[in-house]
Amino acid sequence: MSEKPFFVGYLPAPGPLRTFLLTACVLLIAGLGSAGFLMGAAQDDPGPGAFRFDYGRQTVTGVVELTPYPILHVTEGNDRIQPGDSFLMTAGGKSGVDSRAEPLAGQLAQVSGVVLERGDLYMLQLRGGRNGLQAAEGEVPEITAEPQGRWKLAGEICDGKCLAGAMRPGRGLAHKACANLCLLGDVPPIFVSTQPVLGEEFLLVTGPGGTRLPRAAYDYVAQFITAEGEITKRGDLLVWEIDVDTIEVTP
Amino acid sequence: MSVKYIPVQWNPNKWIYDAVMLAGVALFLWVFLYLTPEVLSHDQPVTAQIRNARAFGACAFVMLTVILCIGPAARLDRRFLPLLYNRRHFGVMTAFVALTHAGYILNWYFAFSSSDKLVGLLYANASLGQIAGFPFELFGIFALICLLILAATSHDFWLKFLTPPVWKRLHYLIYAAYFAVAAHVSLGILQDQKNHVFTVLFMLGAGAVIVLHLAAWLRERSEAAAKDGAWAEVARVGDFRDGYAKIAKLANGDRVAVYLMEGQLSAISNACAHQNGPLGEGKIIDCLVTCPWHGFQYDVRNGRSPAPFTEKVPTYRLRIMGDMVEVHPDANPPGTYVEPVPLPEPPPEPEPDVPEDGATA
Ligand code: HEM
Ligand code: FES
Repeated sequence: MSEKPFFVGYLPAPGPLRTFLLTACVLLIAGLGSAGFLMGAAQDDPGPGAFRFDYGRQTVTGVVELTPYPILHVTEGNDRIQPGDSFLMTAGGKSGVDSRAEPLAGQLAQVSGVVLERGDLYMLQLRGGRNGLQAAEGEVPEITAEPQGRWKLAGEICDGKCLAGAMRPGRGLAHKACANLCLLGDVPPIFVSTQPVLGEEFLLVTGPGGTRLPRAAYDYVAQFITAEGEITKRGDLLVWEIDVDTIEVTP
Repeated sequence: MSVKYIPVQWNPNKWIYDAVMLAGVALFLWVFLYLTPEVLSHDQPVTAQIRNARAFGACAFVMLTVILCIGPAARLDRRFLPLLYNRRHFGVMTAFVALTHAGYILNWYFAFSSSDKLVGLLYANASLGQIAGFPFELFGIFALICLLILAATSHDFWLKFLTPPVWKRLHYLIYAAYFAVAAHVSLGILQDQKNHVFTVLFMLGAGAVIVLHLAAWLRERSEAAAKDGAWAEVARVGDFRDGYAKIAKLANGDRVAVYLMEGQLSAISNACAHQNGPLGEGKIIDCLVTCPWHGFQYDVRNGRSPAPFTEKVPTYRLRIMGDMVEVHPDANPPGTYVEPVPLPEPPPEPEPDVPEDGATA
């Protein structure tokens, strides 16, 4: 041992050891830098979802329908949102607009907010209070629900807001707890189907008979599953009433 | 040596150590946060808060891996010892980086809801019964708590206050933390991503920790075994006479007296505590080794003089290999009891050949 260089913490390192330590330091720094590069560059593309602040605030009028998650069937649109469109709404943060929409169920309302968009899924994050959602005057057209039968679908339950672009990425297991927290706050859940269903990739997902997504389904959020349930077309939005007992995780 | 605590006794080496460490961490974070988004050029990049959380989480994991590699590396090659020297600083910094990771997660994924962030963290995902979708955050919380405890108790004050054995045992928590982080990552991001570079790096890192620990352990075991070869031969089993000793000379020049008493062997130092008289040339009288020079006496099993005397001599460990009695060269502290080694039963006398029944027929 005595012929080997001996390091004392508070003394300058002996010559040969100094070269060794210098090399170790350089390798350590370079190694951390490379790890940072490789790990950073391995991030998956979070997809096209985003808040569209660049569109500016959108204000449209339509009929409120509770499915039970509030939908707006547009009657009077603007150059981005056309009459006949149906879309979901959310409030700021991890909360939905249920309490504001419930008194207006089946009535005409004016909504105003910012668009969250991902492909052909879009959602409006309403302004706070009456500015975001208020009763409007006018003729209320009848909204018909068109049953599409029972379907078995494969895909993932997500929270609609993060998926649509509030978070990038807004889906996947790493994001599961966050998604559950959104759903607990009444943000509408969306089913992302692996195959288009009746021409749609995104469906609003609810419990059977127009109830909210049952709590038992939360265990499967952010996982690939198959399940069965009735699909109904409401305006141009598909609503899938998931039958929780039929949920199976696909490996 | 002083017993005064000065918060940090800085010296040039510590400055260099910390500078290198900080440079590495800063480079990691800078590259992850500012360089790679350019390389990736996603249309809609990963949200900044999530990117920050990931960068700090990944950095903490890499730091923890490096920390756990330094220990066995230093055991394998003493030139790494200086890296061990300030590992505490590295540990404390890791705790801060991990805390930053947890902070970004908490203030992003678990914020903006009507419930408290910490409450949300604990209840939002209750899928405890499944592997995919398990609330992997729990492992992160556990690891973070471990790291914070270790960082808080890293100062010499705690080393002194808790005593080194307790402190050392407490600091084994680092392994629990590492396993928890491995579980945190395995149940979280590893199941989630499409690009598997992180998985490969994770496995390389965890693999390095495991391989280095195994290598250091094997090395130490084989060194211990090599030391085993240092056992010194004393005499053959049959050479001992009850009540008398055989003397062995060790490589370091010390002599050992190996006594046979009532069929059992015991070894004590050959040097009497009185005036270094040759104990091995004495004999056992009334169950006590008696020095030939002035008659001091010792219990051969623990090297102690009988009460009220207090003299003590070192004892030694013995073993019997084949029919050779061997003594271990490391002396036990004077007065240490060693279980006597019984002499093997002499082999039975070979029986006279009795012709088998009918063999003559
Ligand atoms: C309160 C404690 C913690 C919580 C709540 C937490 C939460 C999370 C979450 C939600 C993710 C997924 C992020 C995403 O990909 O979107 C994650 C990833 C990760 N965490 Fe933690 N974590 C905690 C502590 C720790 C600690 C102590 C470490 C390491 C020392 C750690 C290391 C990592 C790593 C390496 C990743 C993967 C990073 C990546 O995506 O590239 N975490 N954590
Ligand atoms: S040296 Fe042994 S009794 Fe004096």
